[in-house]
Amino acid sequence: MFETIPLTHILIVSTLMFFIGVFGFLVRRNLITILMSVELILNSVNINFIAINKFLYPERLEGLMFSIFVVAVAAAEAAVAIAIIINIYRRFSSINVEDVSEMKG
Amino acid sequence: MNLQTFLLMRHEIILMIIILVMLAAEIFSDDKKNTYNLSIISIILFAIHTIIGYLPGEQGTLFGKMYINSELTVQMKNILNIGVLIVLLQASQWLRKPENEGKTTEFSLLIYSTLLGMYFMISSGNFLMLFIGLETATIPVATLAAYDKYRNQSSEAGIKLLLSSALSSGILLFGLSMIYAVAGTFYFEQISSNLATMSHTPALLALGMIFFIAGMAFKISLVPFHLWTADVYEGAPVPVTSYLSVVSKGASVFIFTIVLYTVFKSMLVLWTDAVIGIAVATMIIGNLFALRQKNMKRFLAFSSIAQAGFILLGTVAGSQFGMSTVLYFVLIYIFSNLAAFGVVSIISYSTGKESMNDYKGLYNTNPKLSLIMMLALFSLAGIPPVAGFFGKFFLFMASAEQGYYYFVLIAVLNTIISLYYYLLPVKAMFIDTNETPIEPLKSELLPKIALVLCVVGLLVIGFASPVFEYLKEISFGI
Amino acid sequence: MSTEGLIVFFLVAVTLVGFALVFSSFIPPTSKNLFKAETYECGIETTGITWIQFNVGYYLFAILFLIFDVETVFLYPWATVMKELGIVAFVEILIFLIILGLGLLYAWKKQALKWE
Repeated sequence: MFETIPLTHILIVSTLMFFIGVFGFLVRRNLITILMSVELILNSVNINFIAINKFLYPERLEGLMFSIFVVAVAAAEAAVAIAIIINIYRRFSSINVEDVSEMKG
Repeated sequence: MNLQTFLLMRHEIILMIIILVMLAAEIFSDDKKNTYNLSIISIILFAIHTIIGYLPGEQGTLFGKMYINSELTVQMKNILNIGVLIVLLQASQWLRKPENEGKTTEFSLLIYSTLLGMYFMISSGNFLMLFIGLETATIPVATLAAYDKYRNQSSEAGIKLLLSSALSSGILLFGLSMIYAVAGTFYFEQISSNLATMSHTPALLALGMIFFIAGMAFKISLVPFHLWTADVYEGAPVPVTSYLSVVSKGASVFIFTIVLYTVFKSMLVLWTDAVIGIAVATMIIGNLFALRQKNMKRFLAFSSIAQAGFILLGTVAGSQFGMSTVLYFVLIYIFSNLAAFGVVSIISYSTGKESMNDYKGLYNTNPKLSLIMMLALFSLAGIPPVAGFFGKFFLFMASAEQGYYYFVLIAVLNTIISLYYYLLPVKAMFIDTNETPIEPLKSELLPKIALVLCVVGLLVIGFASPVFEYLKEISFGI
Repeated sequence: MSTEGLIVFFLVAVTLVGFALVFSSFIPPTSKNLFKAETYECGIETTGITWIQFNVGYYLFAILFLIFDVETVFLYPWATVMKELGIVAFVEILIFLIILGLGLLYAWKKQALKWE
């Protein structure tokens, strides 16, 4: 049943996710939303890794293991980012990118 | 895990033990006053670790070639160790500030964690190891940049660094997934041997490589991926800025060069064009922006962007000589940039002044500091008696040897532009007069040791040809 | 799994849930009054807007939970091959857990686990 979905469809979905993430990162002005965009990028990469592993190189689980590590790293990144964002909210009382920008050059 | 393994991974394991011991000491020590002593102990431990790193050891691979230990990686780690030691010594004075009480150990712990990540990154023989090392090297730096909890700019620097590095690792990973699709493995050696059997380069692989270069360019802060650099460097505390601009950048350049030389060696023609383009843009933009900076930290930030462009001259060469010049230049760059940052941090710590106008007339009040600053800036600019000249000269030679004459010409022109702005602070310090100059400063013992180390390095390394000969011997080309 | 199995499973699930919902709607006695139509929130009528900010403490706990939660992902691949790898893998995972435990102790020491 699942074998009938070709690899290209999965890759199209993941590529769309990747570019939506990049777009969100550049366009959105809320720090939390930017963080969500980054997560979207990382998860699109996960889809890529797992799909390529399953369809092209099913004999070794390298891509699968890579995606586990990506998830762990993404969690660490999100934790640190949220911690800093909480501190930013305490300092600036805002998490909008335009308000959180004292340095210009 | 047996003794053999231990000896092969001695850098990592010793540093790991230091981290765990410091962490346990921090957890189980009750006295709040003790934390400063703990940071002194951690510096001593790290100095011992640095010395142990120079002892001769064996070479080999571990975990099915996931981890590679060669003389080259050992020396790269030693170069980084020197940088970290100097940064720790410089930071010791700043860490005694009352607002840092109770989190001094945290500073060294985070620095060591990032360094551990860099070790694994340099020694990696697999993209998985590279990725984990890269992230371990990046995430703690973001917390370090946001270390001054009560200063707005520090938090801003932290979030900017973290989000842009997260985006860059996302881009890098997307490139890796394309490389995986073509090559079917993450091991450097297997990828390059798989690629060698192909008659032509698949388009997907070339795209993956471009994504990879873009991801790494973020970490090395090359143009056009440099936008985060100046704000982060200005906002972060001075020791963190010097760490970011020297050690982080050096480690990323090392692994970037290694990957280009091993994994993508069959695609030399493709990546040299891309890297030359990036390098030219980096040198020009870095220089043009450095020209109009008035804040010393921002000035050094943009100058370090331009310097990264120069380092790529050696990377592009693709020869054994090229790689050795990269190592040599990073070694000299550590001493020169850390000397400059050392002076900036001493002045910023005691007076809070960071603008270039405040440096006017510094020579009359603080002759030693101004002389050190002058030496450092001469080295960064590449003026002959100081080590920086030899570093840059070898970089130019490596590139010219491979026939990239136009590229070298652009680099030389950029060196001339950079001379102008590197001499601006020197002029301010020595020639300009000031009604209210910075009063004579007394610095503590440890930052003094750091500055002396830098000066010795600046004066000696340029003339010590065995250093370069040795680095050339352990390097490899395509 | 074959397609037929999935279809049967889906049908059974839909039937069971649908039956439960429909059956329970006309078995019990019903009474209609104004109080029943109110928004239920701990029995007390809500005052002000409900889009308030939560205490930041929740987020701090969530961050800590997130990290330790995700780290357990690594235990699953280890558990599946633990018997084949033997004592070495066991020692390695112990080191991993000890480092994680030290991290938790550190958070405790820094009073991150204190509810304020």
